[in-house]
Amino acid sequence: MKRADFPSLGFGVGLRRPHYKRIVETHPKIDWFEVISENFMVEGGHALEVLEAVREHYPIAMHGVSMSIGSADPLNRSYLRQLRDLARRFEPAWISDHLCWTGVGGRNLHDLLPLPYTEEAIHHVAARIRRVQETLERPMLIENVSSYIAFVDSTMTEWEFISAIAEEADCGILLDINNIFVSAFNHRFDANDYIDSVPVERVVQYHLAGHSDHGTYLLDTHDHPIREEVWALYERAARRFGEVATLVEWDDNIPEFAVLAEASERARGIFNKVTIEHGSRSRDGGSPEATGTPALSASHRA
Amino acid sequence: MAVRLKQLERLLYRLVTAPSGVGEGLAAESGLPAGGLDAIVRGDDRLSAEQRVDIYANMYFYRLLDVLKEDFPATLSVLGEDEFHNLATGYLLEYPPTEPSVLFCGRHLSDFLREHALKKDAPYIADLAALERAMVEVFHGPDAPVLEADQLRAISAEKWPRLRLRTHPALQILKLKWRVVELLRAVEERHEWKPAEAGVVEVIVWRRSARVFYRELEKAEERAIAAANEGARFAKICDLVAADRDATRDPVAELNRLLARWLGDGILVEASRKGQKPNP
Repeated sequence: MKRADFPSLGFGVGLRRPHYKRIVETHPKIDWFEVISENFMVEGGHALEVLEAVREHYPIAMHGVSMSIGSADPLNRSYLRQLRDLARRFEPAWISDHLCWTGVGGRNLHDLLPLPYTEEAIHHVAARIRRVQETLERPMLIENVSSYIAFVDSTMTEWEFISAIAEEADCGILLDINNIFVSAFNHRFDANDYIDSVPVERVVQYHLAGHSDHGTYLLDTHDHPIREEVWALYERAARRFGEVATLVEWDDNIPEFAVLAEASERARGIFNKVTIEHGSRSRDGGSPEATGTPALSASHRA
Repeated sequence: MAVRLKQLERLLYRLVTAPSGVGEGLAAESGLPAGGLDAIVRGDDRLSAEQRVDIYANMYFYRLLDVLKEDFPATLSVLGEDEFHNLATGYLLEYPPTEPSVLFCGRHLSDFLREHALKKDAPYIADLAALERAMVEVFHGPDAPVLEADQLRAISAEKWPRLRLRTHPALQILKLKWRVVELLRAVEERHEWKPAEAGVVEVIVWRRSARVFYRELEKAEERAIAAANEGARFAKICDLVAADRDATRDPVAELNRLLARWLGDGILVEASRKGQKPNP
Protein backbone atom coordinates (compact mmCIF):
# COMPACT_ATOMS: atom_id res chain seq x y z
CA MET A 1 0.00 0.00 0.00
CA LYS A 2 1.24 3.47 -0.85
CA ARG A 3 -0.35 6.76 0.06
CA ALA A 4 -0.46 7.66 -3.62
CA ASP A 5 -2.82 4.70 -4.15
CA PHE A 6 -5.56 6.71 -2.39
CA PRO A 7 -7.38 9.66 -3.97
CA SER A 8 -6.62 13.17 -2.75
CA LEU A 9 -9.84 14.26 -1.07
CA GLY A 10 -8.91 17.69 0.32
CA PHE A 11 -10.68 19.17 3.34
CA GLY A 12 -13.93 17.72 4.68
CA VAL A 13 -16.24 17.38 7.66
CA GLY A 14 -18.15 14.58 9.35
CA LEU A 15 -21.68 13.96 8.03
CA ARG A 16 -23.99 14.38 11.05
CA ARG A 17 -27.78 14.28 11.40
CA PRO A 18 -28.37 17.96 12.34
CA HIS A 19 -26.80 18.97 9.03
CA TYR A 20 -28.51 16.44 6.72
CA LYS A 21 -31.19 18.80 5.42
CA ARG A 22 -28.80 21.65 4.82
CA ILE A 23 -26.30 19.48 2.97
CA VAL A 24 -28.85 17.69 0.78
CA GLU A 25 -30.69 20.88 -0.12
CA THR A 26 -27.85 23.35 -0.58
CA HIS A 27 -24.78 21.26 -1.53
CA PRO A 28 -22.38 23.37 0.51
CA LYS A 29 -18.85 23.99 -0.65
CA ILE A 30 -16.93 21.22 1.08
CA ASP A 31 -14.53 18.74 -0.48
CA TRP A 32 -15.77 15.52 1.11
CA PHE A 33 -17.62 13.87 3.98
CA GLU A 34 -16.79 11.12 6.42
CA VAL A 35 -19.62 8.92 7.67
CA ILE A 36 -19.82 6.66 10.71
CA SER A 37 -20.26 3.25 9.09
CA GLU A 38 -22.44 1.75 11.82
CA ASN A 39 -25.03 4.54 11.47
CA PHE A 40 -25.73 3.33 7.95
CA MET A 41 -25.78 -0.41 8.62
CA VAL A 42 -29.56 -0.32 8.74
CA GLU A 43 -32.24 -1.92 6.58
CA GLY A 44 -33.54 1.31 5.11
CA GLY A 45 -34.91 4.72 5.98
CA HIS A 46 -33.84 8.31 5.99
CA ALA A 47 -30.17 7.85 6.83
CA LEU A 48 -29.52 5.79 3.71
CA GLU A 49 -31.57 8.18 1.57
CA VAL A 50 -29.40 11.02 2.79
CA LEU A 51 -26.20 9.11 2.12
CA GLU A 52 -27.37 8.34 -1.42
CA ALA A 53 -28.04 12.02 -1.99
CA VAL A 54 -24.71 13.09 -0.48
CA ARG A 55 -22.78 10.51 -2.48
CA GLU A 56 -24.23 11.86 -5.72
CA HIS A 57 -22.31 15.08 -5.14
CA TYR A 58 -19.38 14.34 -2.84
CA PRO A 59 -16.74 11.72 -2.22
CA ILE A 60 -17.00 10.00 1.15
CA ALA A 61 -14.94 7.87 3.48
CA MET A 62 -16.45 5.30 5.83
CA HIS A 63 -15.20 5.45 9.42
CA GLY A 64 -16.16 2.72 11.86
CA VAL A 65 -16.24 2.47 15.64
CA SER A 66 -16.96 -1.21 16.27
CA MET A 67 -14.47 -3.26 14.24
CA SER A 68 -12.63 -3.94 17.51
CA ILE A 69 -9.48 -4.86 15.62
CA GLY A 70 -7.54 -5.38 18.84
CA SER A 71 -10.01 -7.71 20.52
CA ALA A 72 -9.16 -11.23 21.58
CA ASP A 73 -12.59 -12.27 20.21
CA PRO A 74 -12.71 -13.71 16.69
CA LEU A 75 -13.41 -11.13 14.00
CA ASN A 76 -17.12 -10.42 13.62
CA ARG A 77 -17.70 -11.83 10.14
CA SER A 78 -21.28 -10.66 9.92
CA TYR A 79 -20.21 -7.11 10.71
CA LEU A 80 -17.40 -7.24 8.14
CA ARG A 81 -19.78 -8.50 5.46
CA GLN A 82 -22.20 -5.68 6.21
CA LEU A 83 -19.33 -3.21 6.05
CA ARG A 84 -18.15 -4.65 2.76
CA ASP A 85 -21.66 -4.53 1.29
CA LEU A 86 -22.11 -0.92 2.43
CA ALA A 87 -18.80 -0.08 0.74
CA ARG A 88 -19.83 -1.82 -2.46
CA ARG A 89 -23.00 0.27 -2.52
CA PHE A 90 -21.50 3.67 -1.69
CA GLU A 91 -17.93 3.36 -3.02
CA PRO A 92 -16.06 5.23 -0.28
CA ALA A 93 -12.56 6.49 -1.00
CA TRP A 94 -11.44 4.31 1.94
CA ILE A 95 -12.60 2.54 5.06
CA SER A 96 -11.10 3.23 8.48
CA ASP A 97 -11.52 2.19 12.10
CA HIS A 98 -9.62 2.55 15.34
CA LEU A 99 -6.55 0.83 16.70
CA CYS A 100 -8.31 -0.41 19.81
CA TRP A 101 -10.68 -3.02 21.17
CA THR A 102 -14.32 -2.24 21.88
CA GLY A 103 -15.49 -5.41 23.53
CA VAL A 104 -14.81 -9.03 24.37
CA GLY A 105 -16.90 -12.12 25.01
CA GLY A 106 -19.43 -10.97 22.42
CA ARG A 107 -20.20 -7.77 24.32
CA ASN A 108 -19.62 -4.22 23.18
CA LEU A 109 -18.51 -1.38 25.45
CA HIS A 110 -19.14 1.13 22.66
CA ASP A 111 -15.84 2.73 23.55
CA LEU A 112 -12.31 2.60 22.20
CA LEU A 113 -9.91 0.94 24.62
CA PRO A 114 -6.18 0.83 23.98
CA LEU A 115 -3.91 -2.17 23.74
CA PRO A 116 -0.59 -2.82 25.43
CA TYR A 117 2.20 -1.78 23.06
CA THR A 118 4.02 -5.06 22.69
CA GLU A 119 5.46 -7.17 19.90
CA GLU A 120 2.81 -9.79 20.50
CA ALA A 121 0.03 -7.22 20.16
CA ILE A 122 1.56 -5.97 16.91
CA HIS A 123 1.45 -9.43 15.37
CA HIS A 124 -2.05 -10.13 16.72
CA VAL A 125 -3.53 -6.91 15.35
CA ALA A 126 -1.62 -6.96 12.05
CA ALA A 127 -2.84 -10.47 11.30
CA ARG A 128 -6.42 -9.41 11.93
CA ILE A 129 -6.05 -6.31 9.74
CA ARG A 130 -4.78 -8.43 6.89
CA ARG A 131 -7.84 -10.67 7.16
CA VAL A 132 -10.13 -7.67 7.33
CA GLN A 133 -8.53 -6.18 4.22
CA GLU A 134 -9.12 -9.44 2.37
CA THR A 135 -12.80 -9.37 3.35
CA LEU A 136 -13.21 -5.71 2.49
CA GLU A 137 -11.30 -6.19 -0.77
CA ARG A 138 -9.20 -3.10 -0.13
CA PRO A 139 -6.59 -1.71 2.27
CA MET A 140 -7.98 0.04 5.33
CA LEU A 141 -6.76 2.83 7.62
CA ILE A 142 -6.25 2.47 11.37
CA GLU A 143 -6.68 5.47 13.61
CA ASN A 144 -4.78 6.28 16.80
CA VAL A 145 -7.21 6.70 19.71
CA SER A 146 -7.26 9.04 22.67
CA SER A 147 -6.46 6.96 25.73
CA TYR A 148 -6.68 7.31 29.49
CA ILE A 149 -4.85 4.14 30.48
CA ALA A 150 -1.39 2.89 29.59
CA PHE A 151 -0.13 -0.58 30.36
CA VAL A 152 2.80 -1.59 32.52
CA ASP A 153 3.65 -4.33 30.00
CA SER A 154 4.13 -1.91 27.08
CA THR A 155 7.65 -2.13 25.64
CA MET A 156 7.49 0.68 23.11
CA THR A 157 5.87 4.03 22.40
CA GLU A 158 2.44 4.36 20.85
CA TRP A 159 3.89 5.77 17.66
CA GLU A 160 6.29 2.86 17.35
CA PHE A 161 3.34 0.53 17.93
CA ILE A 162 1.03 1.98 15.28
CA SER A 163 3.89 2.34 12.79
CA ALA A 164 4.90 -1.30 13.19
CA ILE A 165 1.31 -2.50 12.78
CA ALA A 166 0.82 -0.42 9.66
CA GLU A 167 4.00 -1.88 8.15
CA GLU A 168 3.24 -5.48 9.08
CA ALA A 169 -0.40 -5.26 7.96
CA ASP A 170 0.40 -3.05 4.96
CA CYS A 171 -2.42 -0.69 5.85
CA GLY A 172 -2.75 3.06 6.04
CA ILE A 173 -2.90 5.36 9.05
CA LEU A 174 -5.60 7.87 9.93
CA LEU A 175 -3.62 10.27 12.11
CA ASP A 176 -5.90 11.94 14.62
CA ILE A 177 -4.07 15.09 15.61
CA ASN A 178 -6.44 15.85 18.52
CA ASN A 179 -6.03 12.31 19.85
CA ILE A 180 -2.25 12.73 19.80
CA PHE A 181 -2.61 15.93 21.82
CA VAL A 182 -5.04 14.36 24.30
CA SER A 183 -2.98 11.20 24.79
CA ALA A 184 0.24 13.22 25.08
CA PHE A 185 -1.29 15.17 27.97
CA ASN A 186 -2.78 12.09 29.61
CA HIS A 187 0.42 10.04 29.41
CA ARG A 188 3.01 12.82 29.50
CA PHE A 189 4.77 12.32 26.19
CA ASP A 190 5.79 14.92 23.63
CA ALA A 191 3.16 15.14 20.89
CA ASN A 192 5.81 16.45 18.49
CA ASP A 193 7.67 13.15 18.77
CA TYR A 194 4.53 11.34 17.58
CA ILE A 195 4.14 13.65 14.56
CA ASP A 196 7.83 13.36 13.73
CA SER A 197 7.99 9.56 13.91
CA VAL A 198 5.00 8.06 12.07
CA PRO A 199 5.95 6.90 8.55
CA VAL A 200 5.03 9.56 5.99
CA GLU A 201 4.00 7.12 3.30
CA ARG A 202 1.39 5.46 5.55
CA VAL A 203 -0.59 8.54 6.60
CA VAL A 204 -3.62 8.93 4.32
CA GLN A 205 -5.92 11.09 6.45
CA TYR A 206 -6.05 13.38 9.46
CA HIS A 207 -8.77 13.98 12.00
CA LEU A 208 -9.12 17.32 13.76
CA ALA A 209 -11.52 17.71 16.67
CA GLY A 210 -12.11 19.35 20.02
CA HIS A 211 -11.89 17.84 23.49
CA SER A 212 -12.84 18.74 27.04
CA ASP A 213 -10.42 19.61 29.84
CA HIS A 214 -10.98 17.88 33.16
CA GLY A 215 -7.88 19.23 34.85
CA THR A 216 -6.04 16.00 35.53
CA TYR A 217 -6.93 14.59 32.12
CA LEU A 218 -8.28 15.59 28.73
CA LEU A 219 -11.33 13.74 27.39
CA ASP A 220 -11.89 13.17 23.68
CA THR A 221 -15.46 14.43 23.51
CA HIS A 222 -15.60 16.02 20.03
CA ASP A 223 -17.82 18.74 21.42
CA HIS A 224 -15.58 21.81 21.50
CA PRO A 225 -13.74 23.91 18.96
CA ILE A 226 -10.28 22.71 17.98
CA ARG A 227 -7.73 24.12 20.40
CA GLU A 228 -4.89 26.32 19.17
CA GLU A 229 -2.31 23.79 20.36
CA VAL A 230 -3.97 21.17 18.13
CA TRP A 231 -3.89 23.56 15.18
CA ALA A 232 -0.16 24.04 15.84
CA LEU A 233 0.35 20.26 15.79
CA TYR A 234 -1.62 20.10 12.57
CA GLU A 235 0.67 22.66 11.00
CA ARG A 236 3.67 20.62 12.13
CA ALA A 237 2.10 17.55 10.50
CA ALA A 238 1.32 19.47 7.31
CA ARG A 239 4.98 20.47 7.04
CA ARG A 240 6.14 16.87 7.41
CA PHE A 241 3.47 14.93 5.53
CA GLY A 242 2.52 17.29 2.73
CA GLU A 243 -0.90 16.79 1.14
CA VAL A 244 -3.08 14.57 3.32
CA ALA A 245 -6.89 14.49 3.39
CA THR A 246 -8.14 16.39 6.43
CA LEU A 247 -11.44 15.84 8.23
CA VAL A 248 -13.01 17.99 10.95
CA GLU A 249 -15.03 15.95 13.46
CA TRP A 250 -17.74 17.28 15.77
CA ASP A 251 -20.04 14.73 17.38
CA ASP A 252 -21.75 16.40 20.34
CA ASN A 253 -23.21 19.85 20.99
CA ILE A 254 -22.99 20.07 17.22
CA PRO A 255 -22.94 23.69 15.99
CA GLU A 256 -24.21 25.13 12.73
CA PHE A 257 -22.66 23.60 9.62
CA ALA A 258 -20.85 26.86 8.87
CA VAL A 259 -18.72 26.40 12.00
CA LEU A 260 -17.41 23.05 10.78
CA ALA A 261 -16.93 24.37 7.26
CA GLU A 262 -14.95 27.27 8.66
CA ALA A 263 -12.67 24.88 10.57
CA SER A 264 -12.17 22.87 7.41
CA GLU A 265 -11.21 26.04 5.54
CA ARG A 266 -8.80 26.99 8.30
CA ALA A 267 -7.11 23.61 7.79
CA ARG A 268 -6.90 24.35 4.06
CA GLY A 269 -5.39 27.73 4.82
CA ILE A 270 -2.70 26.17 6.98
CA PHE A 271 -1.88 23.62 4.31
CA ASN A 272 -1.70 26.30 1.61
CA LYS A 273 0.54 28.46 3.80
CA VAL A 274 2.89 25.57 4.50
CA THR A 275 2.95 24.62 0.82
CA ILE A 276 3.85 28.14 -0.25
CA GLU A 277 6.54 28.44 2.43
CA HIS A 278 8.17 25.13 1.56
CA GLY A 279 7.39 24.78 -2.12
CA SER A 280 4.90 22.39 -3.70
CA ARG A 281 5.18 18.87 -2.33
CA SER A 282 2.50 16.42 -3.30
CA ARG A 283 1.86 12.97 -1.99
CA ASP A 284 4.00 11.30 -4.60
CA GLY A 285 6.72 13.95 -4.80
CA GLY A 286 5.46 15.54 -8.02
CA SER A 287 3.24 18.58 -8.57
CA PRO A 288 0.20 18.89 -6.33
CA GLU A 289 -2.69 16.90 -7.79
CA ALA A 290 -5.97 18.63 -8.51
CA THR A 291 -8.67 17.46 -6.15
CA GLY A 292 -11.95 16.39 -7.61
CA THR A 293 -14.93 14.16 -6.99
CA PRO A 294 -14.10 10.60 -7.98
CA ALA A 295 -16.69 9.50 -10.53
CA LEU A 296 -19.30 7.10 -9.22
CA SER A 297 -19.54 3.85 -11.08
CA ALA A 298 -22.91 3.14 -12.66
CA SER A 299 -23.38 0.16 -10.35
CA HIS A 300 -22.95 2.02 -7.04
CA ARG A 301 -26.65 1.96 -6.17
CA ALA A 302 -28.10 -1.03 -4.40
CA MET B 1 -0.61 -13.44 23.32
CA ALA B 2 -4.26 -14.13 22.61
CA VAL B 3 -4.73 -15.81 26.00
CA ARG B 4 -3.07 -12.99 27.92
CA LEU B 5 -4.86 -10.34 25.86
CA LYS B 6 -8.19 -12.08 26.44
CA GLN B 7 -7.60 -12.12 30.18
CA LEU B 8 -6.62 -8.45 30.16
CA GLU B 9 -9.63 -7.42 28.07
CA ARG B 10 -12.04 -9.46 30.15
CA LEU B 11 -10.67 -7.98 33.34
CA LEU B 12 -11.04 -4.45 32.01
CA TYR B 13 -14.55 -5.27 30.73
CA ARG B 14 -15.59 -6.44 34.20
CA LEU B 15 -14.11 -3.36 35.84
CA VAL B 16 -15.63 -0.91 33.35
CA THR B 17 -19.10 -2.46 33.65
CA ALA B 18 -19.13 -2.99 37.44
CA PRO B 19 -22.38 -1.28 38.50
CA SER B 20 -20.94 0.60 41.48
CA GLY B 21 -17.61 1.50 39.92
CA VAL B 22 -14.13 0.15 39.39
CA GLY B 23 -13.39 -0.04 43.12
CA GLU B 24 -16.24 -2.45 43.66
CA GLY B 25 -15.15 -4.40 40.60
CA LEU B 26 -11.59 -4.73 41.93
CA ALA B 27 -12.85 -5.96 45.29
CA ALA B 28 -14.64 -8.80 43.49
CA GLU B 29 -11.54 -9.89 41.53
CA SER B 30 -9.63 -12.89 42.79
CA GLY B 31 -6.89 -13.42 40.21
CA LEU B 32 -5.06 -10.11 40.16
CA PRO B 33 -1.25 -10.17 40.24
CA ALA B 34 0.72 -8.95 43.24
CA GLY B 35 0.35 -5.18 43.18
CA GLY B 36 -3.21 -5.45 41.91
CA LEU B 37 -4.35 -3.14 39.15
CA ASP B 38 -1.20 -1.05 39.58
CA ALA B 39 0.78 -4.00 38.19
CA ILE B 40 -1.30 -3.84 35.00
CA VAL B 41 -2.23 -0.18 34.41
CA ARG B 42 0.13 2.73 35.01
CA GLY B 43 -0.96 5.38 37.47
CA ASP B 44 0.78 8.61 38.30
CA ASP B 45 0.64 11.61 40.62
CA ARG B 46 -2.40 12.97 38.74
CA LEU B 47 -4.53 9.86 38.43
CA SER B 48 -4.19 6.40 39.92
CA ALA B 49 -4.67 3.28 37.83
CA GLU B 50 -8.14 2.86 39.30
CA GLN B 51 -9.11 6.44 38.50
CA ARG B 52 -7.95 5.99 34.93
CA VAL B 53 -10.05 2.87 34.41
CA ASP B 54 -12.93 4.75 36.06
CA ILE B 55 -12.84 7.25 33.18
CA TYR B 56 -13.84 4.41 30.85
CA ALA B 57 -16.43 3.17 33.33
CA ASN B 58 -18.12 6.57 33.45
CA MET B 59 -18.01 6.94 29.68
CA TYR B 60 -19.52 3.48 29.20
CA PHE B 61 -22.51 4.11 31.42
CA TYR B 62 -23.24 7.73 30.54
CA ARG B 63 -22.87 7.20 26.80
CA LEU B 64 -25.44 4.40 26.88
CA LEU B 65 -27.65 6.34 29.30
CA ASP B 66 -27.71 9.19 26.77
CA VAL B 67 -28.69 6.77 24.01
CA LEU B 68 -31.53 5.35 26.11
CA LYS B 69 -32.75 8.83 27.04
CA GLU B 70 -32.83 9.80 23.37
CA ASP B 71 -34.69 6.64 22.34
CA PHE B 72 -37.18 6.66 25.26
CA PRO B 73 -38.09 10.30 26.01
CA ALA B 74 -41.61 9.49 27.21
CA THR B 75 -40.43 6.69 29.47
CA LEU B 76 -37.92 9.17 30.87
CA SER B 77 -40.67 11.76 31.42
CA VAL B 78 -42.83 9.27 33.30
CA LEU B 79 -40.03 7.92 35.49
CA GLY B 80 -37.98 11.06 36.00
CA GLU B 81 -34.20 11.38 35.80
CA ASP B 82 -33.29 9.48 38.96
CA GLU B 83 -35.52 6.46 38.35
CA PHE B 84 -34.50 6.32 34.70
CA HIS B 85 -30.84 6.38 35.73
CA ASN B 86 -31.46 3.48 38.09
CA LEU B 87 -33.47 1.68 35.43
CA ALA B 88 -30.59 2.04 32.97
CA THR B 89 -28.12 0.68 35.52
CA GLY B 90 -30.17 -2.47 36.03
CA TYR B 91 -31.03 -2.81 32.37
CA LEU B 92 -27.41 -2.68 31.20
CA LEU B 93 -26.48 -5.34 33.74
CA GLU B 94 -29.23 -7.62 32.47
CA TYR B 95 -28.84 -6.71 28.78
CA PRO B 96 -25.29 -5.48 28.09
CA PRO B 97 -24.82 -4.31 24.50
CA THR B 98 -23.77 -7.00 22.07
CA GLU B 99 -24.22 -5.34 18.67
CA PRO B 100 -21.82 -3.09 16.74
CA SER B 101 -24.36 -0.24 16.67
CA VAL B 102 -25.86 1.63 19.65
CA LEU B 103 -29.15 1.53 17.72
CA PHE B 104 -29.73 -1.84 19.36
CA CYS B 105 -28.96 -0.70 22.89
CA GLY B 106 -32.59 -0.30 23.98
CA ARG B 107 -34.19 -3.19 22.15
CA HIS B 108 -34.90 -5.19 25.32
CA LEU B 109 -35.98 -2.30 27.58
CA SER B 110 -39.68 -3.07 27.22
CA ASP B 111 -39.12 -6.72 28.16
CA PHE B 112 -37.02 -5.64 31.13
CA LEU B 113 -39.80 -3.33 32.31
CA ARG B 114 -42.45 -6.07 32.14
CA GLU B 115 -40.97 -7.70 35.25
CA HIS B 116 -39.74 -4.54 36.93
CA ALA B 117 -40.86 -3.08 40.25
CA LEU B 118 -41.48 0.25 38.48
CA LYS B 119 -44.70 -1.24 37.12
CA LYS B 120 -46.28 -0.83 40.53
CA ASP B 121 -46.59 2.92 40.12
CA ALA B 122 -46.68 3.00 36.31
CA PRO B 123 -48.25 -0.27 35.14
CA TYR B 124 -48.28 0.99 31.54
CA ILE B 125 -44.53 1.66 31.43
CA ALA B 126 -43.54 -1.49 29.51
CA ASP B 127 -46.10 -0.79 26.78
CA LEU B 128 -44.92 2.81 26.54
CA ALA B 129 -41.32 1.64 26.10
CA ALA B 130 -42.47 -0.90 23.49
CA LEU B 131 -44.09 1.86 21.44
CA GLU B 132 -41.01 4.06 21.69
CA ARG B 133 -38.75 1.18 20.67
CA ALA B 134 -40.97 0.39 17.70
CA MET B 135 -40.54 3.96 16.52
CA VAL B 136 -36.75 3.54 16.45
CA GLU B 137 -37.00 0.26 14.55
CA VAL B 138 -39.53 1.60 12.05
CA PHE B 139 -37.37 4.65 11.36
CA HIS B 140 -34.54 2.39 10.25
CA GLY B 141 -36.72 -0.33 8.74
CA PRO B 142 -36.60 -1.55 5.13
CA ASP B 143 -37.70 0.62 2.23
CA ALA B 144 -40.44 0.00 -0.32
CA PRO B 145 -42.39 2.26 -2.70
CA VAL B 146 -45.70 3.31 -1.17
CA LEU B 147 -48.90 2.43 -3.02
CA GLU B 148 -50.59 5.67 -4.09
CA ALA B 149 -54.27 6.18 -4.79
CA ASP B 150 -53.79 6.93 -8.48
CA GLN B 151 -51.86 3.68 -8.92
CA LEU B 152 -54.78 1.75 -7.48
CA ARG B 153 -57.27 3.67 -9.65
CA ALA B 154 -55.23 2.71 -12.73
CA ILE B 155 -55.96 -0.98 -12.09
CA SER B 156 -59.15 -2.15 -13.78
CA ALA B 157 -62.06 -2.92 -11.43
CA GLU B 158 -62.35 -6.59 -12.40
CA LYS B 159 -58.79 -7.19 -11.16
CA TRP B 160 -59.35 -5.72 -7.72
CA PRO B 161 -60.78 -8.78 -5.93
CA ARG B 162 -57.63 -10.80 -6.62
CA LEU B 163 -55.27 -7.86 -6.06
CA ARG B 164 -52.93 -8.47 -3.11
CA LEU B 165 -52.54 -5.59 -0.67
CA ARG B 166 -49.46 -5.59 1.50
CA THR B 167 -48.38 -3.30 4.33
CA HIS B 168 -45.07 -1.47 4.19
CA PRO B 169 -42.22 -3.77 5.31
CA ALA B 170 -41.11 -1.29 7.99
CA LEU B 171 -44.61 -1.14 9.55
CA GLN B 172 -45.11 -2.70 12.96
CA ILE B 173 -48.33 -3.72 14.71
CA LEU B 174 -48.17 -3.66 18.50
CA LYS B 175 -50.69 -5.48 20.66
CA LEU B 176 -50.81 -3.51 23.90
CA LYS B 177 -52.79 -3.62 27.14
CA TRP B 178 -52.47 0.07 27.92
CA ARG B 179 -53.53 3.04 25.83
CA VAL B 180 -50.15 4.76 25.72
CA VAL B 181 -50.56 6.61 22.39
CA GLU B 182 -52.01 9.74 24.02
CA LEU B 183 -49.30 9.81 26.67
CA LEU B 184 -46.56 9.59 24.04
CA ARG B 185 -48.21 12.26 21.94
CA ALA B 186 -48.46 14.58 24.93
CA VAL B 187 -44.75 14.18 25.71
CA GLU B 188 -43.80 14.77 22.07
CA GLU B 189 -45.93 17.92 21.92
CA ARG B 190 -44.62 19.07 25.31
CA HIS B 191 -48.08 19.05 26.86
CA GLU B 192 -48.94 17.84 30.32
CA TRP B 193 -49.39 14.07 30.14
CA LYS B 194 -51.79 11.85 32.03
CA PRO B 195 -51.16 8.23 33.03
CA ALA B 196 -52.31 5.78 30.37
CA GLU B 197 -55.61 3.99 30.88
CA ALA B 198 -55.94 0.24 30.75
CA GLY B 199 -57.37 -1.09 27.52
CA VAL B 200 -56.46 -3.76 24.99
CA VAL B 201 -55.53 -1.94 21.81
CA GLU B 202 -53.54 -2.47 18.63
CA VAL B 203 -51.22 0.30 17.51
CA ILE B 204 -49.60 0.63 14.12
CA VAL B 205 -46.25 2.36 13.73
CA TRP B 206 -45.14 3.26 10.25
CA ARG B 207 -42.83 5.54 8.34
CA ARG B 208 -43.54 7.98 5.53
CA SER B 209 -40.62 9.98 4.09
CA ALA B 210 -38.39 10.76 7.07
CA ARG B 211 -41.13 10.75 9.71
CA VAL B 212 -42.52 8.01 11.91
CA PHE B 213 -46.24 7.96 12.71
CA TYR B 214 -48.35 5.91 15.11
CA ARG B 215 -52.01 5.52 15.96
CA GLU B 216 -54.46 3.12 17.49
CA LEU B 217 -56.19 0.85 15.01
CA GLU B 218 -59.96 1.03 14.81
CA LYS B 219 -61.70 -2.27 15.62
CA ALA B 220 -62.96 -2.30 12.01
CA GLU B 221 -59.44 -2.40 10.61
CA GLU B 222 -57.50 -4.62 13.00
CA ARG B 223 -58.03 -7.90 11.17
CA ALA B 224 -57.85 -6.21 7.77
CA ILE B 225 -54.44 -4.67 8.53
CA ALA B 226 -53.21 -7.97 9.96
CA ALA B 227 -54.30 -9.66 6.73
CA ALA B 228 -52.58 -7.00 4.61
CA ASN B 229 -49.48 -7.55 6.71
CA GLU B 230 -49.48 -11.07 5.28
CA GLY B 231 -50.29 -9.94 1.74
CA ALA B 232 -53.98 -10.84 1.58
CA ARG B 233 -56.20 -10.43 -1.47
CA PHE B 234 -58.39 -7.35 -1.63
CA ALA B 235 -61.55 -9.49 -1.56
CA LYS B 236 -60.58 -10.96 1.81
CA ILE B 237 -59.80 -7.52 3.21
CA CYS B 238 -63.24 -6.35 2.09
CA ASP B 239 -64.84 -9.31 3.86
CA LEU B 240 -62.95 -8.55 7.07
CA VAL B 241 -63.93 -4.88 7.05
CA ALA B 242 -67.53 -5.78 6.38
CA ALA B 243 -67.54 -8.28 9.24
CA ASP B 244 -65.79 -6.02 11.76
CA ARG B 245 -67.37 -2.64 10.97
CA ASP B 246 -69.77 -0.81 13.20
CA ALA B 247 -73.11 -2.33 12.25
CA THR B 248 -74.59 1.12 11.67
CA ARG B 249 -72.12 1.84 8.88
CA ASP B 250 -72.53 0.90 5.25
CA PRO B 251 -69.87 -1.71 4.35
CA VAL B 252 -68.90 -0.10 1.04
CA ALA B 253 -68.63 3.35 2.54
CA GLU B 254 -66.64 1.92 5.44
CA LEU B 255 -64.21 0.17 3.11
CA ASN B 256 -63.79 3.32 1.04
CA ARG B 257 -63.11 5.33 4.17
CA LEU B 258 -60.51 2.91 5.51
CA LEU B 259 -58.85 2.41 2.13
CA ALA B 260 -58.56 6.18 1.72
CA ARG B 261 -57.06 6.36 5.21
CA TRP B 262 -54.52 3.60 4.50
CA LEU B 263 -53.49 5.15 1.19
CA GLY B 264 -53.30 8.60 2.75
CA ASP B 265 -51.19 7.28 5.62
CA GLY B 266 -48.91 5.54 3.12
CA ILE B 267 -49.00 2.18 4.87
CA LEU B 268 -49.59 0.03 1.77
CA VAL B 269 -47.01 -0.91 -0.82
CA GLU B 270 -47.26 -2.09 -4.40
CA ALA B 271 -48.76 -5.55 -4.27
CA SER B 272 -46.10 -7.08 -6.51
CA ARG B 273 -43.22 -6.21 -4.18
CA LYS B 274 -42.53 -8.42 -1.18
CA GLY B 275 -40.03 -6.28 0.72
CA GLN B 276 -38.70 -7.44 4.04
CA LYS B 277 -40.69 -7.67 7.25
CA PRO B 278 -39.16 -6.27 10.42
CA ASN B 279 -38.35 -8.73 13.20
CA PRO B 280 -41.15 -8.85 15.78
